[in-house]
Parts: sequence; structure tokens; C-alpha cells
Amino acid sequence: MKARFSSYLTGIAPGLKKLIDLLGKSYDYVSVLSTDSVGFSMSASQRMKSITGKTLMTERGTVVRVYKDGLYSEYSFNLFDTDNVEAMADKIKRALDLQLDVLKATSTKVFNTAKLDDDKEELFVEMETKSLPEETDLDALMKKLQGFSDKAVALSEEIIDCTLRAQSTHVCKMFLTANRDLRQSYVYSEGAVMLVGARNGRTDMAYNGISDREGPSIFDDLSAEIDKSYKELMDNLGAGKVVPGEYEIITTPEVSGLIAHEAFGHGVEMDMFVKKRALGAEYIGKRVGSDLVTMHEGANCVKDVASYAFDDEGTLAGDVIEIDKGILKTGVCDALAALRLGIKPTGNGKRENFEHKVYTRMTNTMFDSGNSTKEEMIASVKKGYLLSGMFSGMEDPKHWGIQCIIARGYEIIDGKLTGKVVAPVVLTGYVPDLLGSISMASNDYVSFGTGACGKGYKEWAKVSDGGPYLKAVARLG
Amino acid sequence: MTDKIIELLKKSSADAWSVTDIVTEAWEFYFIKHELDQNRVRDVEHITVTVFKKLEDGKFLGKATEEIAPTATKEEAAKIIADLCERASFVKNPYYELNKKQVATTNKEYDPKQMAKDYIEALQQIPETSGEDINSYEIFAESCKRRFVNSEGIDVTITYPNSMVEVVVNARNKEHEIELYRMYKAGTCDKEHLVKEITETLKTGKDRLETKPTPALNKAPVVFSTEDSAKIYAWVAIKMNAALKYAGYSDWEIGKEIFTDVKGDKITIKALKELPNSSKNFAVDSEGAEVHDMDIVVDNVAKNYWGDCQNCYYTGIKDSFIAGNFVAEGGSTPESEIRTGCYLEPVEFSDFSVDDITGDIAGEIRLAYYHDGDKVTAVTGGSVSGSLAELLKDVKLSKEMKQYDSYLVPSVIRIEGVTIAGAE
Repeated sequence: MKARFSSYLTGIAPGLKKLIDLLGKSYDYVSVLSTDSVGFSMSASQRMKSITGKTLMTERGTVVRVYKDGLYSEYSFNLFDTDNVEAMADKIKRALDLQLDVLKATSTKVFNTAKLDDDKEELFVEMETKSLPEETDLDALMKKLQGFSDKAVALSEEIIDCTLRAQSTHVCKMFLTANRDLRQSYVYSEGAVMLVGARNGRTDMAYNGISDREGPSIFDDLSAEIDKSYKELMDNLGAGKVVPGEYEIITTPEVSGLIAHEAFGHGVEMDMFVKKRALGAEYIGKRVGSDLVTMHEGANCVKDVASYAFDDEGTLAGDVIEIDKGILKTGVCDALAALRLGIKPTGNGKRENFEHKVYTRMTNTMFDSGNSTKEEMIASVKKGYLLSGMFSGMEDPKHWGIQCIIARGYEIIDGKLTGKVVAPVVLTGYVPDLLGSISMASNDYVSFGTGACGKGYKEWAKVSDGGPYLKAVARLG
Repeated sequence: MTDKIIELLKKSSADAWSVTDIVTEAWEFYFIKHELDQNRVRDVEHITVTVFKKLEDGKFLGKATEEIAPTATKEEAAKIIADLCERASFVKNPYYELNKKQVATTNKEYDPKQMAKDYIEALQQIPETSGEDINSYEIFAESCKRRFVNSEGIDVTITYPNSMVEVVVNARNKEHEIELYRMYKAGTCDKEHLVKEITETLKTGKDRLETKPTPALNKAPVVFSTEDSAKIYAWVAIKMNAALKYAGYSDWEIGKEIFTDVKGDKITIKALKELPNSSKNFAVDSEGAEVHDMDIVVDNVAKNYWGDCQNCYYTGIKDSFIAGNFVAEGGSTPESEIRTGCYLEPVEFSDFSVDDITGDIAGEIRLAYYHDGDKVTAVTGGSVSGSLAELLKDVKLSKEMKQYDSYLVPSVIRIEGVTIAGAE
């Protein structure tokens, strides 16, 4: 079925176009992004259940962007009366003029930027989905999640609880200017299993998830994550600590995705080039990884939670090859960063929601697959670890450091898994060294989209990442 | 709109309900160097409705929550409330009581314009040089009004300021340039404090230019002297959160020691109603419960769980609340005495992470000072890791205190036996 476009947005579109006309008398460029996204989030465990209508992307509101004298200004609001558009236009102008007064009082100069193009463009996209969050039988889904939780805790007395989470969001966004009218509607969903257990006073957990640009029908697949999570929890509860040092590593596709995201995803967000905060700006055309490293980024490069038709500035979705056989080719960028750098935007201008500023953000960040098998890769390791599961990562675009907190490592000695597990594992290193050490890539290709990505410590956005198993050398602690 | 929603709730099949209406006026300024990249205004209202349904003769209490847009028609709002009444019946949680006590509050007005102006002026005062300067900064200043109404008779409104500045600092020499990232949160702008902190950060940046690889110390004492230390105390506070306790993720019991075989200073943490200029100075929490000073852990002994009314009811705690401000009491040792001997002092991590459930800590070292007697070496690379569940048994807390927004903590904490992966 089609994910139907919001009737609320359709209803206010004429009023917003009038608002653009009115503001256009005072400003040289006016755009509007209006959103109406609904969904649900539910969880079930042995001790607690919950249902809310809130997910990371549920929202209803509008942000107006205006331009004059080299400066872009924005006004976010969620009270809009289509019968009183003139008053809204006056309110916006008055509020932004008050800010200009403060800038004058503090002798603040403007970072002068050119005017965005406003070429004529129209797009109306209602993407296919097997189901919709607003039509889901939440009673049946709650019972299904509860059943999964019951099944999990019955596996061992060491399990404290098993929490199942399911979220689904029907996203509707409308981008308007004097000449552009873009509307999109799509559904994404994500589910997760979190299994917590204790042994000999040690509490630990295992976490696995599923995601897709699909409706709540994907939650049937959560059942398969329970057995996997159970095994991983038992592995963690019996794990030792890694002896700090440099090792050969094999990363599962999930960990490969984390490395892609933290190593070169953030490193080539080109709003950081404008601020001279990214070392990547000096490495375009240069080698940053081995021949086996090819990395794609874009809403179109896979189908997952960040696969939209256009971004929050009305730029159509893309698929950029950031690294081609180890050579850094380009980055991704939002529309204003593109203007400032004299290049074309790539469809990566994203907001946390209508209340937030646009930044250059990742969508789907993927390593290309190779020709090896996972078994061949393990057999090639003299001494090292198969790294599986992730907790967190942090970017460092200026210095190309990398930090990934990995859930566990399975020891490999002389080409064989020994059964010994270490947890958690802190992977650190210098990005070109890490990517340069990649010597094998498997023929798998999997994306993961259950997490959220921040810029620094804020601006949370949905992203996915992944790729194949990779063999590399890294420092573990 | 809120009053219309309340009328609809009264007529609905809900057994109980609550409404939270938050109105925010926010000013934002984004700078590259000291030039304005973008200015923004946020003018928003968020109305969140929660509906409760008694199930199986009151043995269970179901709950469902959703936001109703301020632009919603009466029919849309009624439909959402009807859906919530149905959804709440799918959520079979044990019965608990909602907050009932009406709390008197006095409110002030806050001006985001003045707050934002103060931040701009503070950033313009930073003593930059050709070698150390500001790369970029983002200023967020909010005036908020929160009204909470529930079916049990509470109707309380509070106003509060909320502000934040994110600053990126550069330092350079002939060979290279580095950056440091800082985020300062507070109620309003404390100009003097901010200028002092960022000036100190410029000095830290200068030190980072001349570093050696972190030595492979394996296990060594670590002194935490930055905001990362607040994350350590936050983990202790979170382990005493009623939700973690009820979920079985915390095994700490009221009246019992939280750590056994403690060799060092014993930890004391309290919730506070107010801390100077904290962004969490609320007279009532988000569920209408009165906020007051409360012992959480005293001398290594658990005293009170804290949290939402549902989990506090389940864990048998009365008069508790969702705490915002915390103080970790200092020890008896001056900072100067703690800073003796051989130890590592990390002052900049890529990200210092603390796992709420396991207590595992981890962070890649961007800058640390390796103290070996009187010799101090700036180092970089490698990582710090360990489990707080073990590490906090042997700590030394300074007598001096330092505040990071809603946390007042000892200015330094020295932890023995932390795992350090070197970069040599």
C-alpha cells in the first residue's frame, strides 16, 4: 500500500504559500518545511509495559527560513492559523528583527552567504509500505512482544528481564518556496531485544535490533533476535577483560557500520569543512584506506530508516561514493554548506525536528562488500578477536581519532575461535591506520538502523550503517 | 487548548489523566569564529496527555501517552483521547497511585533576549591569541513555562530558564592545529564563570599541541578533574533510581552498603531542590510531585530511591520525586594532597561513557596529564576503562567542590586501579 500524505499538511499548504508570499516582500528568499509525522513506541518486559505516541521523528510543526543581506534566519512554530496568515508573517518579522537589534548592540558581524537558488521543482512521493503505524492492532502487538519476552526469560534463571521495543513512524514532510513544492510520505520501523542477566554479582546485557523503511509488519522478525541475544548475554556474563594492546580484528557488519559512521561518516560532513573542523578537507583525492575500502553515503544507497526522497532543505536524496578503493573522493553536504564551499548539495541537510537547525548529517553509511567469506577471514587470523555488537561510538573529524565501545570480542588463535570472550572492548586508533589495515572484506552486505546519531552531544537523527565483515588491525582496551 | 483538552478528558472513559503543557520561547545564535552563521527563534507549545485505565477491578493500571498538537481541532483531540483510553487497556502494569498533593509555587519571568545577549558578550570577552582561539559556538537561551494538571487535583505551573552554549576551541603551532569541544549548560548565563572556563580550555588546547603517546600503564591511579567526574556520581544516583531498582537492574538495597570492602572514601549523594543557576531548579517534578532535599546514599549506605511515581510506588518509597539536582559530598583531603605521586589525569576524552546497567566506563584519551612525582607530561591516545562497581571501592574525594550545571561534586576524584591502554 501507499503511505498516504498528511491531510493536515495538504490543508495548510495554501496558507503557508501565502505566508511565503508575504515574507517575500521583506526577504530575498523564503522557504518553509512543514511536518506532520505520527507513530507509536511500545515496550514490554516481565515487569513493565508502555505505549506512547512519541518516537524520535513524530512531530507537527513548521520552520520558516528567510534570507536577507547575506544572513539566513529561521523561525520555528507549531501554532498556525490559516485564517490569519498576515499576523503570523508580522510576528515572524518582528521576532527576527528583535534578534537583529541584539546583533547590532553587540557589534556582531555576519558570516556572509550567497542566496540559495529557487529553481522550479515539484515532487509528490507516497512510498510503498506493507503496513501503517496508525492502522496497527496495538493490543495484538503488545501481546506478541510480551510473548517474546516470556520466551526469552524462560531460557535461563540468570536472565533478570527481557525488554522488547517496537517503534514505527509515518513521516510526512512538505517543503515549499515560491517555486518549489515537494511532498513526501514514508514509514520506517525499528524493533529491539534487550536481555539483561546477572552471574556472580556481575550484571550485563545483550542488545539486538531490526529496522527498515517499512511498517510494523517487520516486528514478526524480532523472534529471531531472542536466541541470538541469549547466546550473546551468556557470552558476556562469562567474559573476561581484554589485555590492552594491538590485535588483528574481524568486525561483524554491525561493527563495520559503526566504524564507517564514526571514522568517515562524521569526518566528511562538509559543514565541518566550512568551519575548518575536519581533516578530511585536506585529503580529498588522497589515500585514506586500503584498496578494499569503498564507502557509500546517501538516502538512496540502501533501503533503511534514513531512506527518504528529499532532505529538510528540499534537496533530492542522493548516493555519494565518499571513498573509492581507498581514495577519499568527496564528502556529503547540506545546501548552505554547499553554497559556502561552491559545490552542489548532496541531500544530507537534516534537522532533529522542525524546531532544530539544519546540519550536514549522515543518512545511510555503508562499506562495500568484498569477495571473502567470514570463515576464510577467521582462518587467516593468527591472534586476535572477532568483534561483535556495539554500545556507542564517537567521532573526531579534526584529528581522525576513533572510539568505538564494542559489546564483546571472541578470541581467535591460529585461525580458530577459542571460545574465550572478552567484554566490553574499547576500540581506539587513528582512522587512516585503521582503514589502511583492512585486508579482507566478506561478501555480506547488511545495514543496521536501530540507533540514533548525534552531532557532538545533541541533534539526534535517524541513520543506518553497515557493510560486510572486515579484517583489520586495531588497538583494543 | 489545554483547558479544552481537560474538559474532553473529564468526559472521557479515562479513570485518571494528566496533561503537561510546556510553552517555550527560545533564542538561538550560531557563530563561525565570531561571525553570525544563523539566528533562530523557537516559539512552540507542546501538550502531552496521559490517560490511565483501571484493569481487572483495579489490580492493574494501564497508561498511554500522546502529544496533542495545539492546532488540533476539538474532534481530533477527542479522537486521540478515545484512542488513548483504548491503548491504556493494553498496558497491564500493577496498580499504583498518582501524585495528589497540590504544591504552591512562585514564578519569575525570564528573558531569552537578555540571556542570549549575555552569552554573546561573554564569548566576545574570551582572551584569544594567534595560537589559541574560538572556532565556533552555538548559543541556546530558553524561557519555559510548564503547567501540569491531573485528575487528582493538582494544577501547578512553574517557569524556568534553560540555556546552553556549545564551544569549539582551536590551538595551533607551526606543525598542526587541534580542537577541543565543550558544552556548558545552566539556567541563565553566568558570564564570569563562562569566561573563566573557556579561558582555561584555551590553555588546555595549548597543552594538547605538545603531547606524547599515552604510556601503557596497564593499571594505574586516575584523577578525574573535569565534568567527566559528574558522570561517575550520576551513575551512583541512577543505580538508586526506582525504575532501575524495580526493573531488577540495580541490586542496591535501602539500609545496606552499596559497595562492600570499601578501602577509600565513602560516597554520599543527595538530591537538592535548588543549586545556584542550575537548569533543573524546579519546585515540582514533571508529574507534579514536590521536589525537596533528600538523602540518596549516605556514607556508602543506600537511603532513598528516587524517580517517577509509578516506580516509587512499586519500590515502596513515599514522598519521592524525579530529582534534577544532585550533590556528591566532598571528602576530607585537600585537592593538593590527592594530587601526589604517580597518576594519570585525563582532561579530554573523545567521549567518556558510563554504562548505566553494568557501570563499565570507557573513553579514548585525547589529552591527559601523566604525573610522575613533580614531572608532568601531556599525553594523548589509548583509552581508560574499568567497572565502577569495583573501582568506586577505592577512591579519594577532594574537600573542594565544583559545580557542573545540576551536579555539585568534589573538584577531583582519585580512583585506583583503572585500566589504561597506552598508545606507545
